[in-house]
Amino acid sequence: MRERGEALKPWFLLGPNLVLIGLLMLGPLLLLARISFDAYEAGSGIIDTWQISNYTKFLFDPFYREVLWGTLLLGAEVTALCLVLGFPLAYALSRSRGLKRSLLYFCILMPLLTSTVVRTFGWMILLGNNGFINRTLMALHAINRPLRLMYNTTGVIIALVEVLLPFMVLALDTALLNINPSLYEAARNLGARGTRIFLRITLPLSLPGIISGCVLVFTGALSAFVTPTLIAGARVKVMSTIIYQQAMALLDWPFGAAVAFIMLAVILILMVASLTLTERRRTA
Amino acid sequence: MKGAFRLVNGVILLYLLAPIVVVIATAFGTSAYPIFPPQGFTLKWFVHFWSTPELRDSLRISAMLSLTSTTLATIIGTGSALALARHGIRGKSAISTMLLSPILFPAIVLALALLVAFQRIGLAQTFTGLVAAHTLVITPFVVRLAMASAAEFDPSLEEAAQNLGASWQRTFFRITLPLILPGILAGAVFAFIMSFDELVVTLLLAGPALQTLPIRIFNYVQYSSDPTISAISTCLIVAWLAIGIPVYTRFLSVRHS
Repeated sequence: MRERGEALKPWFLLGPNLVLIGLLMLGPLLLLARISFDAYEAGSGIIDTWQISNYTKFLFDPFYREVLWGTLLLGAEVTALCLVLGFPLAYALSRSRGLKRSLLYFCILMPLLTSTVVRTFGWMILLGNNGFINRTLMALHAINRPLRLMYNTTGVIIALVEVLLPFMVLALDTALLNINPSLYEAARNLGARGTRIFLRITLPLSLPGIISGCVLVFTGALSAFVTPTLIAGARVKVMSTIIYQQAMALLDWPFGAAVAFIMLAVILILMVASLTLTERRRTA
Repeated sequence: MKGAFRLVNGVILLYLLAPIVVVIATAFGTSAYPIFPPQGFTLKWFVHFWSTPELRDSLRISAMLSLTSTTLATIIGTGSALALARHGIRGKSAISTMLLSPILFPAIVLALALLVAFQRIGLAQTFTGLVAAHTLVITPFVVRLAMASAAEFDPSLEEAAQNLGASWQRTFFRITLPLILPGILAGAVFAFIMSFDELVVTLLLAGPALQTLPIRIFNYVQYSSDPTISAISTCLIVAWLAIGIPVYTRFLSVRHS
C-alpha cells in the first residue's frame, strides 16, 4: 500500500500545475486553432464553419504578405545587429573576472529587470524630432533637418535591438565560458595571432551560443508587440500588431487566430532548423 | 587594439543603458514634458504620481493582482519542482518542458487564446480571469528556481528523518521546506516582478475597469508625454533592482549551469 502511495505522490504534486497548463494553455490553444478555420462577418460575428480562407488571406493578399515579409525582415535585421553588438560585449564579459565581471553583469541584467514599456518610453524621449539625438546632431551641425527616427522601421530597430540585446549577450557568454582556455594557449604557443585565433577557435566553438542567441532574439523580435506599437504607431504593421488589432478593434478573431498560428509555425520551423543545425555539428 | 575594443564596448554599454538613464533623469526635470538632458531639479512628478487617484488605483490593482497570482504560482510551482526534482517519474523531461513552455510562448498568441476562451466562460474582463492568466505565465519561473534548489539537496536527509519516526508532514515542514526555501523565495520574487510588469496578456484581458499600472503607462505614452511616467518608471526600476538583482543572478546561474 505504501509503495503505491509513493508512486502516486509526484502526480499529486504535479496535478495542480498540469491542470493549470491543460485548462489555461492547451485548451485555449485548441479552441484558437478551431476558431482559425471559422468565418467572420461584420454584424453577425463568428460563423461556425470549416474553411482555410483566413490562412490564405494572410499568406496571399498583397497587403498581408507585405506584413509577413516585413516582420521576418525586421526579425532578421534585429537578430543580425544583436549578434554584431552582442559579441564584443559577451567576449569582454567572458574574459573578465571578479569585480569587473560583476559590474558588467549588472549593466546587462539591469535592462532585463526593467520592463519593455519603460525602456521603449526612454527611446521615445531619445528618438523624437525634438529628442536628444536629433538636437545633439543639429547642434553639431551634422544635420540640417531632424532625422526621422520615430514612426518608422528605423526607430523600431534601434529600440528593439536594445530591448533584446541582453538575451544575446547572455547566450554568447555561456558559450564563450565553455571554451577551454588551454585551447587559446595552445594556439598561441603554435604561433597563431589574434585574428586567426578568433576565426579558428573562438567563432566556431561559440556557434552553439550564436545559434541559441539568434533563435531567442529572432523569436522575441517576431512576437514583439510593445516596442513596434509605441515607436511606430500605426505606421509600421507587424504580425503581432495585426493580431492585436483583430482581437481588440475589428473583432475578427478567426483571422487573428490564423495569423497567430502562422507566427507559431514560423517560430517552430526556426527552432527545429536550429536544433538540427546544432545536432549535425555535434555528430560531425 | 585593446583600447579600440574597450571603446567599442563602452559605446555598446552606453546604448544598452541609454533608455534607463534617460527615463530616470527626466523624472527629476522641471519642464512639462520629458526632455533629456533635464533642466532644473524637482520631485513634483513623484508627488503627482502619488496624488493622482487613477494612478494610485492602478498601483493598487497591480499590487493585488501580482500578490494573488504570485501566491498561487508559488504553491503550484513548488509542488511541481518537488515532483520533478525528487521523484523518478516517466516522461520527466517532456513534462518539465511542458510546464516551462508558457515562458517561451509569444505573449500575444497566448493572450488571444485566453481572450477567446475566457469570453466563452465569462472570465474576460474579470479580476479572476487576470489572476488565472498571470498565474499561468509566472508559474514556470517558480518551477525553474525551486527545481534547482530541490535538486541540490541530499535525499538521505529526508530518509533519516523518516527513519527516526517523523511523519511526512513533519519531515516536509522541518527538513524539505527549509532546505528549498531559498529557491522558492527567489522564484516568488521573480514571479512577482514578471506579473507586475506583464502587459500584453493583461492588455487583451483586462477591460476598462482593471487598468493595471503597465496598461496605464502604455496608454498614456501613446497619446501624451508627461514626466509623471518617468517618475513611475523610476520607482519601478529602483524597486526591482533592490529586490531583483540577487534573485536574478541566481536565476541565471541556474539557467546556465
